[in-house]
Amino acid sequence: MRVAVADDAVILREGLARLLEEAGFEVVGLACDGDELVALVDAHQPDVAIVDIRMPPTHTDEGLRAARLIRERWPATGILVLSQHVNPRYAIELLSNGTEGVGYLLKERVSDLAELSANVERIGHGGSVLDPAVVDQLVGRPRPGQNPLEHLTAREREVLALMAEGRSNRAIAEHLFVSEHTVEKHVKSIFGTLGLPPSADDHRRVLAVVTYLNAG
Amino acid sequence: MRAKLWLLGLAGMAAGIAAVWLAAHGPSGRPTEPGPVLTLLVGASLLGSGLASWRARPENRLGPLMVATSFGWFAGLLTEAPGQALATIGTAIQYVWIAGFIVLILSFPSGRLERRVDRSLVAATLFLTTAFPIVAMLYGTGPGLRCPSCPHNPLDVFHDNTVSDHLLGLQRALGGVVIVIAMAVLARRWLRASAPRRREVTPVLVAGGATLVTLTATIVHDLVGDPLGSLPATIWFYTTATLPVAILAVFLRRRLARGGVAGLVVQLGESSGPAADLRDALSRALGDPSLELAFWYSAEDRYVSADGRPLALPGEPDTDRAATFVERDGQPIAVVLHDRALEHNAELVQSVCAAAGLALENERLHAELRARLAELQASRARLVEATDTERRRIERDLHDGTQQRLVSIAMSLGLLESRLPGEPGAAAPLVREAREALAAALQELRELTQGIHPPLLAERGLSAALEELCRRAPLPARAEIALERRFSDQIESAAYFFTSEALTNAAKHSHATEIAVTARCEGPTLVIEVADDGIGAAVIGGGSGLRGLADRVEALSGTMTLSSPPGRGTTLRAEIPCA
Repeated sequence: MRVAVADDAVILREGLARLLEEAGFEVVGLACDGDELVALVDAHQPDVAIVDIRMPPTHTDEGLRAARLIRERWPATGILVLSQHVNPRYAIELLSNGTEGVGYLLKERVSDLAELSANVERIGHGGSVLDPAVVDQLVGRPRPGQNPLEHLTAREREVLALMAEGRSNRAIAEHLFVSEHTVEKHVKSIFGTLGLPPSADDHRRVLAVVTYLNAG
Repeated sequence: MRAKLWLLGLAGMAAGIAAVWLAAHGPSGRPTEPGPVLTLLVGASLLGSGLASWRARPENRLGPLMVATSFGWFAGLLTEAPGQALATIGTAIQYVWIAGFIVLILSFPSGRLERRVDRSLVAATLFLTTAFPIVAMLYGTGPGLRCPSCPHNPLDVFHDNTVSDHLLGLQRALGGVVIVIAMAVLARRWLRASAPRRREVTPVLVAGGATLVTLTATIVHDLVGDPLGSLPATIWFYTTATLPVAILAVFLRRRLARGGVAGLVVQLGESSGPAADLRDALSRALGDPSLELAFWYSAEDRYVSADGRPLALPGEPDTDRAATFVERDGQPIAVVLHDRALEHNAELVQSVCAAAGLALENERLHAELRARLAELQASRARLVEATDTERRRIERDLHDGTQQRLVSIAMSLGLLESRLPGEPGAAAPLVREAREALAAALQELRELTQGIHPPLLAERGLSAALEELCRRAPLPARAEIALERRFSDQIESAAYFFTSEALTNAAKHSHATEIAVTARCEGPTLVIEVADDGIGAAVIGGGSGLRGLADRVEALSGTMTLSSPPGRGTTLRAEIPCA
């Protein structure tokens, strides 16, 4: 599997590349900011781009912006965002356009080589990865022996799975050959069953998806 | 001084009597201008107003100038003298007095010709009223002296009345041009004048303008061949007589204005209001709406405004503004900044300042207090800013330095772990242990950074950081954040830590079940409210951390209010200026 790595700290960039090579990945190139990463992806179209959030020039959320751009232009390239901080907001932004081939992990998780390689593989194959600490802050951990999804109907579970693919209500309706109105009713019911209260910043859709990913 | 004025007055009266006699007994066979009545009227107006002005304002040149002009006026009547020599001299200087009037009009109120254009206009008038008649007399006798009983013109060398008439026509035409320019200069000066200046010059400008207009009309009338006889000239002479009186009236009104000082004293006695009242009272007494006050701030040896802000005094090149300094017992108290026009009435300004001395000293103490408060506020804000800057630096250093090194060590350990052979009792479990300890250290470091300066605040601004705070709050917190812009780092930090501390406080002490956080801009103010539905009865101080919050908000000139009726929840509200 081919990967590209972007981090402004040389020590982490090189370290990560070494780990990935040790785990059997082919590292197609290293970038020190968002623009370089976009150029790398353009040139090599790797299976996964691993990107640090805070990079030059503004040292705010360059990595996230580069990730958004790559997802738009090269949907086949998976994205693993690494962060030094637990920031659910960034995870929501990342997941709100579909969860396929997307991951958000704390940086120190890379020290477990087996886990890192499993996560990168998963993203490369279109799966999604969310750091437990982030999930914890978003929806809380599922209590042992309790699956929050078990109270959903089969149809609702089907709708939720399609939501996790980043599809709109209209797209889901077309896929299931039902009216958009019916899908809206299912979605509302899913929110209610999962205990997601309405909020000003309507992230319920992503939260429902996170719950789904977390339980599945 | 008095004797000199008396003597001049007597001499002027003698000259006047002679002039009136001449006007009444001029050579027969031609009309005499201006005639005995007007001769007396204009001359007496000049002489009387001149002497009175001289006495009222000895330092001003306008008084002496009017007296001199009156002699010039009387001398012009020598044209009517029976003797050949006197009549000739009279003809040569007949209209020199007009130059005196031009000086009076252009130099009012200072008595000085301050601008180059003024001096040029006066020089042109002098040239036209002396050189032209003398040269004209070399060619022939002017139309006014061509009667049979008129005295002979001894200067008539070339005997060519046509040339003489042309020269005099040219003189009048050029004179008209000079007068039009003078009127334009006066009009421009009026348009540019400040309110006090206008108030001062209006009577003189009206009289002077009328004099110039009627003079122009007379000249034009003369050039087209006198169809109306002596009427225009007569009107002109009557108008001329009003100018000296107008000048005298302005000088005397200044004296009357000092009566306003008494009104000021009464006003100051009645009110003990703020500096704005004092300024208004002084402004009224001096008739200068642009008047400003500044007060001496002894701690920094400079003047400050009434609200304690530093203030620049008008410099030398500033021609519109002037400063009058007020002292008490040799100590500077205040400075009154006013229109430069009031400098011509320095006595009035001085007496007004003297009358307001105590009120000014009182106000100076207030201004000093405000200046000290402003300084204190500024130093407080600087302290908070320095703390914020330091916090941001520490967060950045931890992110770019320590955290990265630790992550890099964790990576090396991961690599090491994967390369160790899986023998029992070997180093693998130890490496794993080290890796996990490192992860725990990173976790702690992350929490520490969050408390020092939350990364999200730096990366995404206040709105996002507040929403995140609510999401992580230990109690269900509803966020209503309506902020569409970024604010300065200090404001964002203060607002963030205010909300963070208020949420922690509510979770610890309020026994609330729900918290509502609202943030919005109300005009130039950022308003943040944290309201819970708990037991209330919170107080600022007493280890609640609320005092520190209030300090932080107040350092940015904001206010923090606490509403916490027992049993009815607690609302903390911060208002921070953010314009």
